[in-house]
Parts: sequence; C-alpha cells; structure tokens
Amino acid sequence: MYLPSGVYHETYAATHAWWQTGFVRGKMALLLLFVFTLPLYANLYVVSVANITLYTILGALGVQLLIGYCGQITFGHAAFIAVGAYTTAMGVLFWGLPYPVAAVLGCLLAGLWSVVFGLPSARIKGFYQIMTTMAAQFITVDFIITHYVSRVGGREHYFSLPPGTITIAGWPVDSEIEVYYLAVILTILCLAGMANLLRTRVGRAWIAIRDNDIAAETMGLNVVYYKLLAFFAAGVLAGVAGAVWIPSLLFVSPEHFQLSWGLWLVGVILIGGIGSLHGVVFGSIFVTGILELLKFAIIPLSEFYPALSERFLYVKEAAFGLAIVLFLLYEPRGLAYRWQQIKNYLNLWPFAY
Amino acid sequence: MAILLELVLSGIMVGSIYALVALGWTLIYKCSGVLNLAMGELTLIGAYVCLTYYQWGFPFPLALVATLVTGFILGLATERLFLRRMIGEPILAVIMITVGLSFFFRALVGFIWGTDTVVFTPPVFPREPLRFFGMVFGQVYIWSFVAAIVLLVVFVWFFQQSRWGLSMQATADDEMAALSLGVSAKRVYALAWAIAFMAAGVGGTLLGNINGLNISVGYLGLLVLPAVVLGGLNSVPGAIVGGLVIGVLQNLSDAYVGKLTQGGVKEIAPFAFMVIILLFRPYGLWGWVKIERV
Repeated sequence: MYLPSGVYHETYAATHAWWQTGFVRGKMALLLLFVFTLPLYANLYVVSVANITLYTILGALGVQLLIGYCGQITFGHAAFIAVGAYTTAMGVLFWGLPYPVAAVLGCLLAGLWSVVFGLPSARIKGFYQIMTTMAAQFITVDFIITHYVSRVGGREHYFSLPPGTITIAGWPVDSEIEVYYLAVILTILCLAGMANLLRTRVGRAWIAIRDNDIAAETMGLNVVYYKLLAFFAAGVLAGVAGAVWIPSLLFVSPEHFQLSWGLWLVGVILIGGIGSLHGVVFGSIFVTGILELLKFAIIPLSEFYPALSERFLYVKEAAFGLAIVLFLLYEPRGLAYRWQQIKNYLNLWPFAY
Repeated sequence: MAILLELVLSGIMVGSIYALVALGWTLIYKCSGVLNLAMGELTLIGAYVCLTYYQWGFPFPLALVATLVTGFILGLATERLFLRRMIGEPILAVIMITVGLSFFFRALVGFIWGTDTVVFTPPVFPREPLRFFGMVFGQVYIWSFVAAIVLLVVFVWFFQQSRWGLSMQATADDEMAALSLGVSAKRVYALAWAIAFMAAGVGGTLLGNINGLNISVGYLGLLVLPAVVLGGLNSVPGAIVGGLVIGVLQNLSDAYVGKLTQGGVKEIAPFAFMVIILLFRPYGLWGWVKIERV
C-alpha cells in the first residue's frame, strides 16, 4: 500500500484503518459531500441516471461477491433480484407490511432462494455451474414469477405500485430524489459492509476458495458451507437491489428481470474489474453513465440517419456488447486496474518509479 | 396413441433443427474449447440474412446457399477478430466474449431489421398439411426435417471423410499431436466457427419458416445448451440425439404436463431436464467423463 514518507502508525488500529492519511480522508469527505448534495444542483434527469447507476452497483455487488471473490460463476442473478423485488412488493401490497419490514423479508427470501440454486455448486463448477444458474433464471422468472406469482391478486403480469404505496415511517418514497437518498444510503452501507466482510475470516475463506478450492479444503475450510454462505450473502445483496429498485418503478413486471439483465451485471464487473469493489462502482458508472452520454453523442448523427436515435436501445446494447469484448481483449483487468495505475503514476510523479 | 405418435414425430422434426444448431455448437467446443453462448444470435443473423435474400427475389434454395456463403464469411471474420486472441484464457473470459458478442449481434439484428415478426412472403412451403395414417403434419415441418437431415449427413460426411474434417477431428483429439503433424490449428478454429455460423443460419431459417421470424428465434440458441449437455459436450452424435430428444421432450411436456400448470412448460421443460442431467450424469450420454468435481 502506498504511504507518503513521514507517516508513521503507532497503533495496530491505525495500520488497519481504511483511510490512513489526512489527504485521503479529505478526499473521501469531499466525495461523500458530493454524493449527498448531488440532487441540490443536478436536474432530475441526472438524478434518475444516478439512481440506475446505484441500482446497478447494488446488483453487481452480489455478482462481484460470487464471481470476483468466491469464484462461483452466476448468470442468473436477475432471478434473485426479482425475488427480492417481488417479495417486497407483495409484502407492501398484499400483506400490509411496512416497506422496511417487507424489504428485510425480501432480502432474506432472496438469500435463501439463492442458496437453493447454490446447492449444486457443492458438486460442480465452471460451465456446469453457469448452466445451473441459467436454469435458475428460467425457472424463477420465466416460470414461477411469470405464470404464478404475477397472477396473485388477479392482476395480469404486473403489480402496479401507485404513488404513495411505499412509505418509510410515514414518509412517502416516490420521487427520484427520495429514491436517490434511499439508494445512496443503502449503497454506502452495502459497500462498507462488503469491504469489511472481506477482511474477516469469512471473506478470506471466500478468497481462498476462489484461488484454489482444493487447497482451501486441505487448510481445513468447510468449502461447501462457505460457498453456500457466499450464495446467501449475494442473494441478500440482490434482495437489497430489488427492494431499492421498486420505489422508482410504476409497476413490477418480469420484463425487468430477464436473463440479459443478469448477463449485463456480469458485464459490468468485467468492465470494472473482477475481484475489486472499485470495479463494481467504476463498471456501473461506465455502463450507465457513458452509455447515457452516447445518447447525446449520436444526436448530431441522427439528422443524417434517424434510425440511430429511434432505435437507441439497440445502439446502447451493441455498444455494451462491444465494450465487454474490447475490455476483455485489451484491458482484461478492468477499469479498477487502470485506476490503480493512474493513482500510482500521480503519487510518484515526476519520477517513473 | 395416434396423438402420442404425432407428438413424437413432430417433436423429432423440430428436434432435427435443434440438432443441426447443436452440431455447430459442439463443433466449436470440440475443436477450440470455446463454450459459445452466442449461438442463438448466430441463428438470428442467419435467418434474417436468408429472409433478406429471399425478399430480394432469390429463389429459396439459392437464398439458402447464399446464406451459407454469408455465414461462412461471417464465421471466419468473427473467429479472426474476437476469438483467436482468447485461446487459453480462463473459462469466464471466453464465455463472456461470446456473451458480449451475443449482446452485440442481437442489438445489430434489432437495429437493422426491427422487432416486428416477419414471415417469408410468398410462403416457401405449401400451406396445406399432409396426412399419414390419420396423423397431420404441416409441410413446412417435413421439409425442414428433410433439409436438416440432409445437412446433418453432409456435415457428418465432412468430418468422417474429407481432409479438412479429419484435421478437425485430429485437433479436437490432441491439439499438440495434430500441430506436429502439420495441421494448422488456426484454420481448424476458423473452420469450426464458419461451420457453426452456417448450421445456425440454416436452423434459424427453417425455424423462421415455421413460426415467423422475430427476435425470439434467438431463444433457440439457449435450447441448444440442454441438448448438448444431454448428449455430452464434445460428442457429435450426442448433439444430434440431444437435439432430437429436446424436441420430443418439449412437445410431450407441453401436451401432457402443460395442462396441469398455467403455461410456460414448453419453454422451461428443457432447462428443468438439464438440471436433472447435471445432477446425475453431468457428462451426458457420450461426453468425456472428465468433469472437474469439487
């Protein structure tokens, strides 16, 4: 870890601190200030893009935990997000629970559901695990939710959430700004929780399993237990993402949780960098923000070729697919690695090393 | 009893199309070890290319041949541009390359051809159904079956007899030995992708003739996965049998289990079946028993 000369730690707690110098602490304080005051000077469009980014961060966090830290490949994460979202929505709409209680219930159920489909990981890995998680996606979303859950309450295929449905202690969470604050607080909590979790016994066990599961087992780790724990934690994070997402929706529908969304999240962590929490954030900002900027970039072009903006959704998806391919070919360690390189360069400047 | 027989036979007919696409998938896996999740998008591209030629006024057989040629060129280009550098990379990276390609191709198809369902007009095959012994089949099914079987035979002949096919088999069996005997592995990889594009293109065209063509034809590419898992990932006969079985399974589960549920069984049955295979026999019917266990 980089430390400028002249910084000496006198306690063990100080050597383990997240932010070790005044400069870093100031930087992080500025970042927090920026994040919490964003809605004051940004317009609603920017806030809504920020909301999608935060949702992507929360969703990709679980994928990062499984793929980046525990080595368990998941392509069906959208299913677990769907379980969280649907449980929360049903709790609020049908069972009369307050939103926070319903959200906690949704997280727990998503975690347990994730464990069910994590069970085969006790025996298989690699391609076969990809197949089982994809099967989880189809069974959960395309079968159970589309054909059974969606018909609860006699509504066809979606639960509508009229404004004012979702309240926290009497406060309605409807507008983009209220959703933004909810999402920001939960994202910061989840990121901090994950970062600390990875420094505990559990987190180190996950990393050991990722690096070599046989070696991990000979070291005395109960591999199956820790894998299922990873699936549970990832499912809970997916549940958080689902619960945060529904206040900004007018209705919950299976269309929101298709296989491509799970693949999208895997793409996000690939672009950001596998095995890095910075990667989750950078990847989400890149995928949501940069692709949103693409919309403005093609406005001048669309005068000559109007299909570009009429079918912008496809332009965005094609750009995303191409971004995954190009990152894998030319920057396989993702944006987080590049970020480290830039920081190193600036820290050492004007010297090369 | 006649109903059962009819279901099984029409399942085999649709399954032969799956078998064709599954063959392309297996070929790529056998030769280069790439697990291709973009197969559905390859079928989409092939189908739309064929439709475009057909609308330009090509007669259908000529359009099909032109699709094969286009698929061959696209396959070579895809392999050269994206896949060649990924040889030997970790499994997740290789799979995600194909996932990235699938996003890219699907968006490209949506961008160029739109999302509305289009049909081949005028219809390629006559509409009136044929009757055998009290069973009714659409002519399109029978012709698709014939076309798929012809292509399957051609491909299998190609592997067993031709020089190129033999060099592909050699590479799949032992890459180092093949290289030392003067087989160019690069050409084999390129050829595998080209053949996969061709097979997928024909499969997509035939499916588009059955139900009309829209972006959901790409779902077929996912159905290939249960087929190849059943047959064994690296077995060519396994892919063919797997495709046929999945076709029959879809029909039977739709007819018999579908009544008990609220729908969606037809789409789900292959995947539920796949989970069961993965639990009990993950190497499939004829795959190499080399699965990595934890």
